[in-house]
Parts: sequence; structure tokens; C-alpha cells
Amino acid sequence: MPMDNIEAQFATYFAAQTPAARNVEITSISRIHGGASRQTYAIDLHYEDADGPQSKSLILRRDPPDSLIDTERRIEFAAIQSVFGQAELPVPEALFLETDSAQLGAPFFVMSRIESGEPLNPFDLSAIDQHRREIGEQFFRHLGSIAAVDVATSPLAAAVDTPAADQCWRRELGYWAKEIRENAQSPQPVAEGCIRYLMNNPPPPAQRLSIVHGDYRTGNFLHDGAGKITAVLDWEMAHIGDPYEDLAWATDPLWCGNDSERAAGFIPWPDAIAAWQSASGCEFDPAIFEWWSMFAQLKALGIWVSSAKAFAAGKNDDPILAWSGWFTHSAHELMLAARLAGKFGVPT
Amino acid sequence: MTDLTLILDRIGKKLVGDVAPKLDGDYAHGHAVMIGLMNVMAAEMWDGAADRLQNEINGLRGLLMAAGETPDIAPSPSLKISDLSRERDGLARELIVLQTRLEARPKDPDAKLLLTKIWAHLLQTAAARMPSPPAFGGPPD
Repeated sequence: MPMDNIEAQFATYFAAQTPAARNVEITSISRIHGGASRQTYAIDLHYEDADGPQSKSLILRRDPPDSLIDTERRIEFAAIQSVFGQAELPVPEALFLETDSAQLGAPFFVMSRIESGEPLNPFDLSAIDQHRREIGEQFFRHLGSIAAVDVATSPLAAAVDTPAADQCWRRELGYWAKEIRENAQSPQPVAEGCIRYLMNNPPPPAQRLSIVHGDYRTGNFLHDGAGKITAVLDWEMAHIGDPYEDLAWATDPLWCGNDSERAAGFIPWPDAIAAWQSASGCEFDPAIFEWWSMFAQLKALGIWVSSAKAFAAGKNDDPILAWSGWFTHSAHELMLAARLAGKFGVPT
Repeated sequence: MTDLTLILDRIGKKLVGDVAPKLDGDYAHGHAVMIGLMNVMAAEMWDGAADRLQNEINGLRGLLMAAGETPDIAPSPSLKISDLSRERDGLARELIVLQTRLEARPKDPDAKLLLTKIWAHLLQTAAARMPSPPAFGGPPD
């Protein structure tokens, strides 16, 4: 849909959702690069209501023809609602959810826009070189705070299934194994070996059921350049599960700026674990983390092979899908091959 | 001019260094950077593609034969990447079956030794397929 059409149709939609608003006018609209799982637009608009002139800065997230991640926007919407206003977590306010494709050609949702902040390139952390400690402490504290949110009363619990504590690992492993088997365009002996290994060496039940962001990592938060995380974004993979899942994903080497000495490339591991434990109330066990860390890399392969399939099929020609299907797939396959080779007696 | 490695490398660097900055602020900026990066990576991987596949094929056939199997996969009729990939994929499918069977014999030292060799092969081939991270940074998020 051309930008002009989105602009006009969204103005109509906003006016219908905001009965007190008159003379709704969109003053700017631009598409934000990245976020291949949703088409993301920054929108500024003016309107008048009983209190006089008003303005709003919004983010519109619309389903693309195909994406990196196949999820329902109602889940992302519920996840943001679940954490908004909790424990100083910097998340935008979820405003409108529209499941009818007739409005903008595809389902979408709208949230407030957090003005200050830039994303951090996961392959190059130099932009926060002077503030690694502050960013790292917030990064792991926010992650722990997400894990500490009361699941039972959250909007997310109404939108997704809540697994039993001893089924979290099995459900996630089963889901991503299926994704790999259904979408891979070539045999995946490393992934298959990993699936068997994880299945044969399961972790204990989750110590608590938590909201799992699902893609909490460098690149999916904004920072202000002065050491503050201003927004945690991209909740489309949120679900309820084991808090180790997010911790392992957040510290995967691929998005640590090639810095294996520091957790997520930010702060020493003991400091990161302490911040996460303090905010989440969870205990850290390296053996359990090892399982979830391997799983994180398998899950990544699941995303990357799905990206490659979507690109090859021509459903979505965003170059980031080709990048994901090639470079990041190769990187995670190599990491997993090295880990499993060590477990099977190959000197590394 | 037939040096595709050179062409891909130069085009990629041109896109990232010259074209993308002129698109700053436009949605196409990110696309130009990504396409440029992948051109440079393709330049690196292009030259050795057939050699890598042939090495994988030789390794896979050797592992399957070490297990006493004669792979039911016809040799590639040409050195085209597509033909070699088909042969490699067929052999890799047989390898997955073999791995599963070997893992079911944890007390068999022969099975254990062959599994070690299989993982050494998988590690070596995964490393060979890994493109170098482009020198001018990664993609925009």
C-alpha cells in the first residue's frame, strides 16, 4: 500500500478510534528500517479536542506479507500491555489493536512513540563505549524485571497458553524443531544433532513461570547516547515460559559486538547475573543456563531458515531476510557445531 | 571481464561507501547497506564455492563408507553449484540418519569414534561456509 494511502486511511482510523478528536491531520509519516517481522511506521499527527490543539507521536506496526517471525500482533500488543508501567520498564504504551485487514490492508497495532533514543548495532557496540556499565546494568535489570512481572494477572496470560513449569523447555524445543524441519531448504545435520542432544539432556522445570520477551537483545532497545536505555522494543515473540530463555538469548555471542569477555558485550558476567537475579528473584545455575544457551542458538537457526525460505519464495524481498538466511545462519551453525563437537570428543 | 569476485567486491563497497550515504534518512538506505554488505560477502565466498562443496561431498562419502554404507546418491553430473549442492544435500540426509543410529549405541566405542569424526567434519565444514564479517561493520538493525 502506498504511503499516501496509509496516511489517509490511518487518519480516518484514528478519528474513528478517538471520538473527541476533530480535524485529525497527519503531519509526517515515514517507514523505519529493520524490524522485518512487522512494517513499522513513525507517525506524527495533530487534532483538536475539547481541551484545544493536541499532537501525538505514534508507532504503527503492520503485518508484512511474510516476516522473520510468524506471530500474531495481538500477542505483541498484550505483551506490551503486560509490562507497561511495571518496575520502571521503559516500554511504549499500547494504544490500538486492529485485526481487520480492511483498515490498512493488513492487521496492525499502534503504540506511543518514545522520542529519545537510537538502536544499538549488535555487531558494533562502540556507540556506547563510554557507557557500557550503565547500559549493561540497566539491560540486565530490565530483563530481570520482565521475568518478575506477575504472569497470572497479565494481559499476555489471556492471549497465550501458559505451560506447566516442567513443559517450558519441551514446548519451545518442539516448536523450533518443527520450524527448522518445515522451513529448511537443505538438510541441517548440526541443528538435528542439537535437537537430539537437547531432547536427551533436558533442563529441570522452570523455577518460575515468567513473561519471556523472546527477542531481548542488543538491537531491540533504544539508548539515549548518555548511558540510559529509553525503550525495550520488539515484543512480537513474547510468550510465557522459563526466564532462562531470555537470559540465554540476551547473552548470545552473535549480538555481543564480538565481546565474549563481558555478558552481552556490556559488563562482567558476575555483575550481569547479579543484576538479573536481584531484579527477577531467580537463581542462576550454570548447568541450566548451558541448556538454554544452546537452545537459543537452535532457536536462532529456526528464525534464520524461515527467513531464507520467505526470501527464496519471493514472499518478502527485504534484504535483511537474505542476510539472516546466510550470514547469521552460518554464524549460529558454526557456534553450535563447535559446542556439540566438544561434547562429542572433538578437540576444540 | 570475467573476474566476478572483483566485480561483486567493488559493487558492494560502492553501494555501502558511496550510494548508501546519499540515501541517509530514506528507507532505501538500509536496503543499500545490506545489499552492499552481501555483495562483498558474496565476492569472498564465490571463488571457493565449488571447492567447498566438493570437500563436503568427499567428507560425507568418507564418513558414510566408514560406517559400512554405500550412499545411494549419484555423483554430481557437473561442477555446477546447483548440481554439487544436490549431491551434498542427499549425502547430508543420509548422514543425519547415520548420526541418529550411532547415538543409540552409547557404549559402542566404534560408534563413539565415528560420531567424533562426524562432528569434526561438521565443525570444519561450518567454519568453511562462514563468510568473514565485512570490515566496515554489520548491517543496520
